[in-house]
Amino acid sequence: MTAPIATSQTILVVGGGISGMTAALEAAECGRDVVLVERNPTLGGRTALLYRYFPKMCHPTCGLEINLRRLKANRRVRVLTMTEVAGITGQRGDYQATLKIRPRYVNERCTACGDCSAAVSAEIPNPYNYGMGQIKAAYLPHAMAYPQRYVLAPSLIGTADADLAKAACKVGAIDLEMQEETVQLSVGAVVWATGWRPYDAAKIQPYGYGRFPNVITSVEFERLADPSGPTGGKLLRPSDGKEAKNIAFIQCAGSRDENHLRHCSRICCMATLKQTQYVREALGEDGQSTVYYIDIRSIDRLEDFYQMVQRDKTVKFVKSKVARIAQADNGDPILHGVDTEGYHRYATPHDLVVLAIGMEPESNSIALPQDVITDSSGFIEGSPDGGMCGAGSASSPLDVNRSAQSATGAALRAIKVIHQTAREEA
Amino acid sequence: MADNKFAAYLCAGCGLGEVLDFETLEKVAKREGKMQVIKRHDFLCSAEGVQTIRDDIANEGVTHVLIGACSRRAKTDAFDFPQTPMARANLREGVLWVVAPGTDHDEVRQEMADDYIRMGCAELKKMAVPAGNPDCASNKRILVVGGGMTGLTAAIEAAETGYEVLLVEKQAQLGGWAAKLHKRVPFREPYAEPQDTGLAELIARVEAHPKIGVHLASTLAETAGAPGRFAVKIATESGAVTQETVGAIIQASGFSTYDLAKLPELGGGLPGVVDQAGLEQLAKAADGGAIQRADGQAVNSVVFVQCAGQRDETGTHLPYCSGHCCATSVKQAMYFKDANPDVDTVVLYTDLRMPGMGEDFYRSAQTKGVIFTKGKVSTVTAAGSGCNVNFRDLILNEEVTLGADLVVLATGQVPNSGVNIDLVVELATEEQASGDQAPAEATPVATPVDLPPSILNLTYRQGPDLPQLKAGLTDSHFICFPYETRRTGIYAAGPVRRPMDMLQATDDATGAALKAIQAVENAALGRAAHPRSGDLSYPIVRLEGCTQCKRCTVECPFGAIDEDERRFPVFNESRCRRCGTCMGACPVRVISFENYSVDTVGSQIKSLDMPDEFSERPRILLLACENDAYPALDMAGLSRTLYSAFVRAIPVRCLGSVNTIWITDALNSGWDGVMLMGCKRGDDYQCHFVKGSELAHYRLSKIDDTLKQLSLETERVASYEVAITDSQRVAALINDYAETIKRIGMSPMKGFN
Amino acid sequence: MQALRTTGHQGIPAVAARYRNNFLKEVEAHVEDGEWVKMCMQCGVCAGSCPFGPHWEHPPQEIFMMIRAGKRDEVLKSDAMWMCTSCYNCVVRCPRKLPITQIMHGIASYAQELGLAPKNQPTRDFSIQFWNNCTKTGRVNEMKLTVGLYFKDGLVSGIKQVMNMLPVAIGLIKAGRLNPFELISGHSPKDQKGIAAMLKKARAIEAQRAPATH
Repeated sequence: MTAPIATSQTILVVGGGISGMTAALEAAECGRDVVLVERNPTLGGRTALLYRYFPKMCHPTCGLEINLRRLKANRRVRVLTMTEVAGITGQRGDYQATLKIRPRYVNERCTACGDCSAAVSAEIPNPYNYGMGQIKAAYLPHAMAYPQRYVLAPSLIGTADADLAKAACKVGAIDLEMQEETVQLSVGAVVWATGWRPYDAAKIQPYGYGRFPNVITSVEFERLADPSGPTGGKLLRPSDGKEAKNIAFIQCAGSRDENHLRHCSRICCMATLKQTQYVREALGEDGQSTVYYIDIRSIDRLEDFYQMVQRDKTVKFVKSKVARIAQADNGDPILHGVDTEGYHRYATPHDLVVLAIGMEPESNSIALPQDVITDSSGFIEGSPDGGMCGAGSASSPLDVNRSAQSATGAALRAIKVIHQTAREEA
Repeated sequence: MADNKFAAYLCAGCGLGEVLDFETLEKVAKREGKMQVIKRHDFLCSAEGVQTIRDDIANEGVTHVLIGACSRRAKTDAFDFPQTPMARANLREGVLWVVAPGTDHDEVRQEMADDYIRMGCAELKKMAVPAGNPDCASNKRILVVGGGMTGLTAAIEAAETGYEVLLVEKQAQLGGWAAKLHKRVPFREPYAEPQDTGLAELIARVEAHPKIGVHLASTLAETAGAPGRFAVKIATESGAVTQETVGAIIQASGFSTYDLAKLPELGGGLPGVVDQAGLEQLAKAADGGAIQRADGQAVNSVVFVQCAGQRDETGTHLPYCSGHCCATSVKQAMYFKDANPDVDTVVLYTDLRMPGMGEDFYRSAQTKGVIFTKGKVSTVTAAGSGCNVNFRDLILNEEVTLGADLVVLATGQVPNSGVNIDLVVELATEEQASGDQAPAEATPVATPVDLPPSILNLTYRQGPDLPQLKAGLTDSHFICFPYETRRTGIYAAGPVRRPMDMLQATDDATGAALKAIQAVENAALGRAAHPRSGDLSYPIVRLEGCTQCKRCTVECPFGAIDEDERRFPVFNESRCRRCGTCMGACPVRVISFENYSVDTVGSQIKSLDMPDEFSERPRILLLACENDAYPALDMAGLSRTLYSAFVRAIPVRCLGSVNTIWITDALNSGWDGVMLMGCKRGDDYQCHFVKGSELAHYRLSKIDDTLKQLSLETERVASYEVAITDSQRVAALINDYAETIKRIGMSPMKGFN
Repeated sequence: MQALRTTGHQGIPAVAARYRNNFLKEVEAHVEDGEWVKMCMQCGVCAGSCPFGPHWEHPPQEIFMMIRAGKRDEVLKSDAMWMCTSCYNCVVRCPRKLPITQIMHGIASYAQELGLAPKNQPTRDFSIQFWNNCTKTGRVNEMKLTVGLYFKDGLVSGIKQVMNMLPVAIGLIKAGRLNPFELISGHSPKDQKGIAAMLKKARAIEAQRAPATH
């Protein structure tokens, strides 16, 4: 792979989810040069793993398609996947970025024909289904993957399967000798759009995630509801594959909690309200959703979605932070707690429990440059000189809509740096 | 200009060579498609394959290229020949991967591939490289309407990025609501104490910036034109009018507070009751000292009533939550506690909404001794010199009356969005759609007295202000694209777009500044804005054929088309998003794009080698929206989901661009059925062009008459709402439809054309 | 801390002031860790976590709300705080990190101090007996404590209790885990005077705190 040509007039966008794509495209469509780096083999980030968006119940891939088309039509954005930022030195207007590019083992000759995948037998847990279900170790991440190019799991390298894959490829796209590369890049401004990750649910000990198979997270529930997910869109619970009809949603799973995340993750209330409608979509009147909450935060015009769900007879709201979960012999999780509105104690069995898991900044696992300021939860503010800024859910717990808004603003901040640098140099 | 030279490049890779008869394909391309150059390559998207094409363009005079390979969505990096019209015959995702394998299906598979080559050739013949927009205008100045926090931020951000800014503020001074605040909620850690608004500094920066011109006590008397050349008339209170030209507009017209008088049950009008704005006024007067009521009475107890006149389901008050009010009440309770910790402060809420790091601010207020109670307030009544707040304590489950010297109602933000144009302009009516009757005039259904003054006073045919989404908010309907208003080059920002707090408003202003900059840059280059960003094509109209039916001017989802005094359409290309809705609407088919026209699609429809009535090989035309339905078809291919080989898919820009002539032409040419797949319509529409899908549906509702005239079954035309995720469903729909055609039989129209 | 008394001040109760700061401030001033009460966000996880939950009138979260609502008498006369067994389930789960166990004991102690604590509340009786037993010498005398508890409801029920537990007692004596002579003398810690002085000092410190609101 050749290093993209970049100068102090180039904007580096770190992260290829909706925020990074938005920041990159908005800047490029203003006539600026952008290098967009993404750690995974495909762009799209976590939004590509959502089944539907609130409040329209539309599909994230719909917006992704538009963004990808914008990207294909724009020569100013250079995309580097499987790439991480190893370090950034310098200052506003004059940064040196060191990028590490992991081997994909498949080069740009790949036509996505799928012959390699058919040839191998090894499987890995599907990272695009949060590890639920298996995928071939030579795989196309998902149907909307960009670049539309297969990838070989590192575990495949050195096995006989790898040779089978190579032999199966008629166009010579598989390169088992591919090595990690390090690339140096000069850029003028950096947008950190590194996004979020679900809080580690196993740390919320009383809820038994990891011990009780029928306690899952909200991001996993998205995959269950998605027809392209591990269950083909059926709400089957993990323990016995039984259709889950009576589903509990536990809000603030990790959020608003000084033992876990001290911030409110903002999206989880709306995500749960949306997911109650997945239950309705799948089961109609036979489904039952119970939402255990502290405060329902359906902020601004999203309120009408809450009102719609409140009118839905299959959805019940209990003002309570669930104290603990026990498991019945048949695998039903039993929720224990108190409905604080008037003090009613409950011990309620459900088929499945969905933890509305909190958002943790992904950057907590990334070594950020020294001068990037983060808040106490790890959300990125930027560098004091303004040369670097956060965008989207890397900067604050934001929903998709506000992430796109934030990323658009971040694009302007980056362009401003480029503009002012150019003026100083002139 | 040199003669056109058409070339077809057929790819035999990805297994195509093993399954399809390329000699036949080549023969079709040559004899029927009239391609002058035909080349076959075993790996066309490889560097070598692409180089072949480049060389032919450079050295052999090839002007038009047909790629017979994979989907137009695949290998876009490789097949990228600027200045050369290109058509893509989708042999891989559209044929190889979706037609059942095995020799039993060889014949139908080959016919399908042959037809796609025919269609590709036919389309290519009608294509031209867009010459660029004649409406290019390169004024890059940005007009900001509103001098509050949002407008000031947008102005300074744009100016510091190098763009000239014109700021128009209705009041005699800058600052808007922010100027009326004592303090604001903190924007960054620590989220503990109310902060100075920072407004004075921001105003100073704006006033000192050489690129920003400020018009105070001024409003927009008129806005005409398009991105890159908006002509605005700025009127001062005294009546003086200045004419200016700007390239893009940011509407930061802000909000008004909900009228307290509409809340008599919550004590609106009582001396002991104020709204949050009123409390700011009292706090400002106290300036850190003890806050007194306006009548001078001391305040020893204060109650904040959240969601006053908001989150209302009865239709009486605001249906939405204004988002900022919880944090604002918390801040205001701190005013009291900071001045005197002995003042009793109670916040009554049903859901406390302080997302993100707001939780820290909430904790800080608790530390200061502010009491929070989940309670639903029924009434606020006068009691002595103070008030009684009657509420149900939802935790303790009892009715309570709480006395207070002062009650603060957290009322909501009402957007200053000007005129609701849906109330003024009546959209496409049946009379207009029938085409031959006198077009209906815009019918005011509300008297002017009912309408608030317009903010922008657009001279647009479709009304003077931005279309509203709901509840008066000018927000975008799109989750992924928050700035997409339906008026190109005009971006709403701040609370006029959606209720929001000050931090969000400043962020929003920054994003809007970028979009405005993008709009002027695009306009200068004649490029389309979102979602067909960068598209250089634009609608071309043959006015000599126009019947002045006004359908295009009425139906354009973006208000791009005005009317001249003779009622001819006036296209403002820079306002156009290139969806083709006008092309679909035009009954006389005088509107087209250079690379997408009635002919590019129509010629494909007519290019088929139509089997006869007795062949038992029906032909089904599928017009698929390129944004969602066509990708879904591609993904069906990717997952090798099989569907009927009798279907022939043509991507369209939007179902709104589908001209019914295509359907009648198809039926007249002997096609056995026509399927249309577009995006969801209705309140939660997913159509990228807002109304395209809706309009297509409306037009199709008229198609039954046509079918009757042709003595055809109504089943011969069917439309579907399809989402991009429906890759399995599209295959099922096609197969079901093929069954339907089998049941009703082959079209009797074959062989007449 | 003062020795817990079975009778207390019969002062004038505070004026019922709903949702005023009065009672909350009183709790902050007089209850150990009482300043945390205002930090509760009413999630209810403590209420649901308590193993004794089903048996009390008011769980902690509700007590905290009642304090904020100014329900002074109802709180202080409640037996809720006396039901806490110090399992700390609530403390480890509280998302606001409130020291709930300590607060509950603090309120109980304060109610006791004011003489508002419910009479004949078993855990309260036990606490009093335990405290008085313990502070007498600085060492708990198990025999005296046990017998004292058995006979708290009178002679007849005391004898019944003793007869019931006799086999257990004999077993303990045989195993050398119980010394019946402790009932008569009991042994003292090495520095009984030192403990007495320590307790005296503690009472003095306690007395320096703001006097209770009566």
